Amino acid sequence: MNKSFLSCILAVAGWAVFHYGLLPIFTPNPLGWVLNPYVYFLIFCAYLIIVNVGMRLNPPMALKAFYVWMLGYYFYDAILLPHIPWTLFITYMMLWSIGVFLYISQDPTTFREFRSPIVKTIVGEYKIARIVVFTALPVLVGFATWNTLYPKFAEPVELRTVHPAPPSTTKVHGKTYKLEEIGNPFRTDEQDNYKDSFPFLDKTEYMKNVTEGGTVFFENCHFCHGDQLNGLGMFSHAFNPTPANFVDPGTIAMLQESFLFWRVSKGGPGLPNESTPWSSAMPPWEEHLTTDEIWKVILFEFWYTGHHPRTFDTEGSVSE
Amino acid sequence: MNIKVKARSKLKILLPLLFSVLLAGTASAEDVPADLIQQDKLEAGKKVYFKRCVWCHGVEGVGDGPSHDRLFTKPRNFIQGTFKIRWTDSGELPRDQDLINTVTNGLPGSAMPSWSGVISKDEIEAVVQFVKSLVQDREFDDEDETMLDTVTELGPNPWGSTGPYHLEIPQEAIDEGKKIMVANKCFECHGGEGRGDGNPTMKDDWGFPILAANWQHCWNFRGSRRNHYDPFNVARTVSTGLNGTPMPNFRDKISVEDRWKLAAFVNSLCPRKKIDKLTNKPIPDFLIAAKYTKGEIVPKISDPMWVSPDDGPKIVERAEDKADHPRRNYIALAGQITFGERNFKPKADNLWVSARWNKDQGIYYLVEYDNRFLSTDPEYPEAVAIQWPAKLQDLFGAEKPYFIHGDSKKPVDLWKASLMPKDYSATNAPKEEGYQLDVTVEELNGNGYQTLAAKDSEPTVKVVDAIFHQGRVKVMFQRALTTDGDMDVQIPAETFIPVAFMQWSGFDKEIDEHMAVSTWYYTILEPQVDTGHMLTMSFIMGGIFVGLQGWLVWMTNRTRKMYADGKVIQDERPF
Repeated sequence: MNKSFLSCILAVAGWAVFHYGLLPIFTPNPLGWVLNPYVYFLIFCAYLIIVNVGMRLNPPMALKAFYVWMLGYYFYDAILLPHIPWTLFITYMMLWSIGVFLYISQDPTTFREFRSPIVKTIVGEYKIARIVVFTALPVLVGFATWNTLYPKFAEPVELRTVHPAPPSTTKVHGKTYKLEEIGNPFRTDEQDNYKDSFPFLDKTEYMKNVTEGGTVFFENCHFCHGDQLNGLGMFSHAFNPTPANFVDPGTIAMLQESFLFWRVSKGGPGLPNESTPWSSAMPPWEEHLTTDEIWKVILFEFWYTGHHPRTFDTEGSVSE
Repeated sequence: MNIKVKARSKLKILLPLLFSVLLAGTASAEDVPADLIQQDKLEAGKKVYFKRCVWCHGVEGVGDGPSHDRLFTKPRNFIQGTFKIRWTDSGELPRDQDLINTVTNGLPGSAMPSWSGVISKDEIEAVVQFVKSLVQDREFDDEDETMLDTVTELGPNPWGSTGPYHLEIPQEAIDEGKKIMVANKCFECHGGEGRGDGNPTMKDDWGFPILAANWQHCWNFRGSRRNHYDPFNVARTVSTGLNGTPMPNFRDKISVEDRWKLAAFVNSLCPRKKIDKLTNKPIPDFLIAAKYTKGEIVPKISDPMWVSPDDGPKIVERAEDKADHPRRNYIALAGQITFGERNFKPKADNLWVSARWNKDQGIYYLVEYDNRFLSTDPEYPEAVAIQWPAKLQDLFGAEKPYFIHGDSKKPVDLWKASLMPKDYSATNAPKEEGYQLDVTVEELNGNGYQTLAAKDSEPTVKVVDAIFHQGRVKVMFQRALTTDGDMDVQIPAETFIPVAFMQWSGFDKEIDEHMAVSTWYYTILEPQVDTGHMLTMSFIMGGIFVGLQGWLVWMTNRTRKMYADGKVIQDERPF
């Protein structure tokens, strides 16, 4: 039997066994020190080397180059974690291809050896290969042309600023507030003192306000922001942008309470254009709630999630 | 000595095993005492309850938390010990595991979220014990409180079908399931095609109105356990009934085998869509592509050209003759809760839209949605609308009018169809051929919800066909691509156009801004695909490549010949 052919079969069959048999074993959740795809990949490489060297198959240069190139493809496509985006994949494969080319063109002998099957195919010494390649390639080109010409439409991508810069002042219920100067009037005590307190049961002033804020939240806000304040309320799936997730450290945890006061009071229609005010379902809550209720909801949101609001650095503002 | 001990310990394992095998062989299920309240967990459970649950279920567990009067599926009242999703017999208390599963997976279609990942397993177990302690009318340690496991006898899935979509179930089983559905009169409540449109007068144990489940929206099944297409969930509910609701159990009437078939039928009705794991709803299709239609577009909903399945084409392969039909796009609806009279209890939670166009006949949008009952009161008609930016040409970039009827700077163009069914009463038995609808079309402009007003230009929008069929409203809008109206949307081809939808459930007195809304979607008129031109180009490119190959062969042969003739010297190393 032709040695190159045998090498080819062993490589493909080996890959199938490795990929479908071993890879699932090497990708447990979470990954271990031994059971991870990288170890798997090394074993697969070792298998290829051992089979080809051990059986003295000595595949021709073109096949060797093909193996190395495919190993790179396999690694970047299926092994490397996390899965890399398409553009990066192209870049990596370009570098990989250049590396493979350097390897085969290191001296005229290897380069000619690499070329020889290609030349033999072209001039017709490998008859069947020439027929297959020379018919398949034009068909592929025609097919690719068809695919390129076929009109395709994907929904347009829309970028959006999630936390826009707030205005310096805002007017709510007839009163003008300077956002840099106001704080939550109900934040009368250290929030952490009430970590293990119960709404409705704990009758302290602070918890009374938290309870009232929670009451407002569960009458009005949970439809979108969710019973768990994670932005997954009953109506959340219908809206785009999706409602804010307050549990996420990227939302209320990095904002001042005055910013929230402005956002809650003015809602979606109060947003600047870069934040797509036309599709935000957030009501301007000043139309439905009193100023005190808005502050209490904000107090509740921080108490429930355990996040602390960002505060203005008083020292910094002096030096300014 | 040693040997004896070993033998005894083996016996210890073997005996119960033998016993259980015997038990399973003789009686499929036995009454067992109810799960006792684990007193040691109450303190921890109380802490969880008063942070997480009290807001809906209330301080005493009466289901009267702050949110309750704005929820349509009301929070559970724990006092009576009545729980819907269980493995026990009708009327019996639930097992601990049932309550744990409910807290873990949530109850899709209601406000109850899944708590897994939010609180720990220990906390879930603890809060379940605390919830049991809130039950006042029954005692878990009462001798009379027994539990009969009615679900284990269902055994494993008889077809070995697997999730998420369970598409392997044979059609014969589904067809037999349909017969079982008819024989057991499930349609009396659930309607002829399972859209829950059977009976508008039902009440639950507390006297609140209750609706039969819509089988075509399996992602809203309370007991779906986040595995929406699994027939097991339906087979379980048929075996246990839903305590506190008019849904009885059918254990004596339907054999185990038939319960599985019935479940297969019920689940087969549910469109196979990609379900978002976080929200338990299908992922909306944000781009509505209107198919260019060569030849005539037939303005009839029943015409084959408008027939295509709701299933996602990537999940369920289309039949050959429907392969190029426009996709049914899933549009998510929610209550309008931003302005004015807010709607916290919308009745329709989605729409299905498909569209076709050509230059002569204009555009056709077929809008369909499930609504159990239609209004016959002319004051509160059923209605559905498509909303467009009125001044599309003035919009810059991604800019759009405000999605609820526009804003002061950017007006919207609203095509609204009000529907009045003929010879219809909500209490009618299912009617195979459906009900014809009297349609009134209004064309409105809005600069905000308070300024919505009829246009004074010539009417241009037509509803060419409309029907109410087994709980599904189908309305086909038509308009020319361009009109003379100054405030009409002018629709260009091959351009992304924002579009939104609104729906009013007249039966539930929805009117004006008290409605269901979608956010902005995009629609595009797909261009005519010129296959002739594409084919020619493909052949030309292929032909050019053949020529290129010929040149390559010629060049290679020439080089070889030059080597052979000694005109060119190949480098001297051995080949």
